Amino acid sequence: MLNVAGEPPGDSWGIFAFLCAALCNLPTVPALNGTEELGAGQSIQKTYDLTRYLEHQLRTLAGTYLNYLGPPFNEPDFNPPRLARAERLPSATVDLDLWRGLTDNARLAANYRAYSRLLKYLRGLDSQVGTVELRHRLGHFCSSLQGLVLSIAGVMSSLGYPLPAGPAGPPPSSGTPAAPNDFLKKMDDFWLLKELQTWLWRSAKDFNRLKKKVPPAVVTLRIEARGF
Amino acid sequence: MCTWWHYGSVVTPKRPGGTHRLNGMGTRCCAGISLPSGSKALTASNAPPREGRPWSVSSFWMANPIPSACCVVLAVVVVYAQRHSQQDSHIQYERVGADVTMKCGSMDWDAAVTWTANGTDIDDSHLNGSYLILKNVDLTQSGQYSCYEGSSWHLKYQTNLRVGVPPKEPVLMCRSNNYPKGFYCSWHLPSPTYIPNSFNISVIHGTREMVCEKDIFPKNRCHIRYLQLFSTVKYKVTLTVTNALGKNSTTLTFDEFAIVKPDPPESVVAKPVPNNPRRLEVSWQNPSSWPDPESFPLKFFLRYRPLILDQWQHVELSDGTSHTITDAYAGKEYIIQVAAKDNDIGTWSDWSVAVHATPWTEEPKHLTTEIQIIGETLTQHKPLALRGPGYGDPSAGGVWQ
Repeated sequence: MLNVAGEPPGDSWGIFAFLCAALCNLPTVPALNGTEELGAGQSIQKTYDLTRYLEHQLRTLAGTYLNYLGPPFNEPDFNPPRLARAERLPSATVDLDLWRGLTDNARLAANYRAYSRLLKYLRGLDSQVGTVELRHRLGHFCSSLQGLVLSIAGVMSSLGYPLPAGPAGPPPSSGTPAAPNDFLKKMDDFWLLKELQTWLWRSAKDFNRLKKKVPPAVVTLRIEARGF
Repeated sequence: MCTWWHYGSVVTPKRPGGTHRLNGMGTRCCAGISLPSGSKALTASNAPPREGRPWSVSSFWMANPIPSACCVVLAVVVVYAQRHSQQDSHIQYERVGADVTMKCGSMDWDAAVTWTANGTDIDDSHLNGSYLILKNVDLTQSGQYSCYEGSSWHLKYQTNLRVGVPPKEPVLMCRSNNYPKGFYCSWHLPSPTYIPNSFNISVIHGTREMVCEKDIFPKNRCHIRYLQLFSTVKYKVTLTVTNALGKNSTTLTFDEFAIVKPDPPESVVAKPVPNNPRRLEVSWQNPSSWPDPESFPLKFFLRYRPLILDQWQHVELSDGTSHTITDAYAGKEYIIQVAAKDNDIGTWSDWSVAVHATPWTEEPKHLTTEIQIIGETLTQHKPLALRGPGYGDPSAGGVWQ
């Protein structure tokens, strides 16, 4: 389903593919019972916790990776202009009122799409990069990020929302031009890490809102279901 | 019984047509001064005019019957004369430690002039011809300097000298205590310049320049509203301070999330819990400046200690605005503070105002009876005070505490 070039199919991808297949066959009216109501609330909390964990992991990873890229990327004041190349990355930046007004579905979908794409870009990072330790860290982070994507999918399914169709943008290995030189390639990596960091900060806020809003809505649906 | 006198001193030019100056005027009721009949005024003069000092000072006492209109007229004349002469004065700023040379307007170098500082003569030793030389000026030499032509006592030049220093690098701080609404920046100079300064602040976000609206109070502060949230681009704030002797600036660059720091929690209240000698109930409120605690919840940090100890105990609370302390030492007064932080981003607030509370203690009943019992117990057992953490047992009564 997801086109990840060169990636050997692992257990987690198999599970994910199964989940997707199962979701596609769900009836349109969500048949919620007690365990699923608990499931939504717990899933949201779990997803929130995952974003915090990832944010913490990213801090260490980014520090190591930026040092590998070398100056000026590892300077704390480094504040480059955002090139057009960086626009293909999913941006967390949003107008305040727009963000407030997002429906739960739109909010979750935005997170799901963003992390799916960011994961692909992250996996596309040069596998020969840096030291063994750096590659190991990167690999571990990718697994955790994959877990986050699955967790968001789980929340969406437990609330009865359809998963966003297919990958939102072209995969990094085709379509988008490769960096013409070493410096621009490093700039790409810099913005990828920056965008990941900002998305994780935003997700914490997104899931805070969902935590507060979702349980009452689920209770209402439950009552309606019983009424039939 | 006293007589009302007007007094003062008049600096008069020797030649008519020059400028009068009136100093130290006042009115006083004095007894014991009697004038020979017919005379209305008592004047005294300083030493006779020296060679080259074309003026004299005289003091006068005038008895009341002379209408004060006379004094008013004199004062008006003086004021007019002074105002007229101030048209050609201006302000001159000089650095501390500089050498200042003042020229007497358009007068030649070899003209005979007299310089005054705040109305007081300046000694000839500071003059180079008609130029006034002030070496290594300091702050006390600020004031009004005037130059008078030798014989006619015409005012030829006047300036207001202000001695100061160019500004040092200013101290700038930016903070968001009302996330996600925006942030504010405030600044000050680390040391005074002694002359007027002006501040200019610029905020750049990526390619866009944003306007920081100046606050009326406090001064030296401005605020900005966020147009977008969750931005990857840093904010760059530059503050420039300028005065007549120089300028200096400082820049801060930061991410939206890095400057989030709420105000401390408000209305912290700590109360004892009835019938619970080791408990204290603490409650507080979100800071009123935090606009949206629903979507941007705060977490809290509570610290408490008995007044007599230095070591704090800490509790971190991820939600709720109350907490019950269950391990307080019985009967001891506690000091309690709370701090707040956004759940996910930024830094902790300053500590709240401290509150004091003492846990509930049982009312000592039948004090005399207890003393008798304790007295008997002491002869047979070890004293109760040696048990426990050393604070005694409240049920033994207040006697031991």
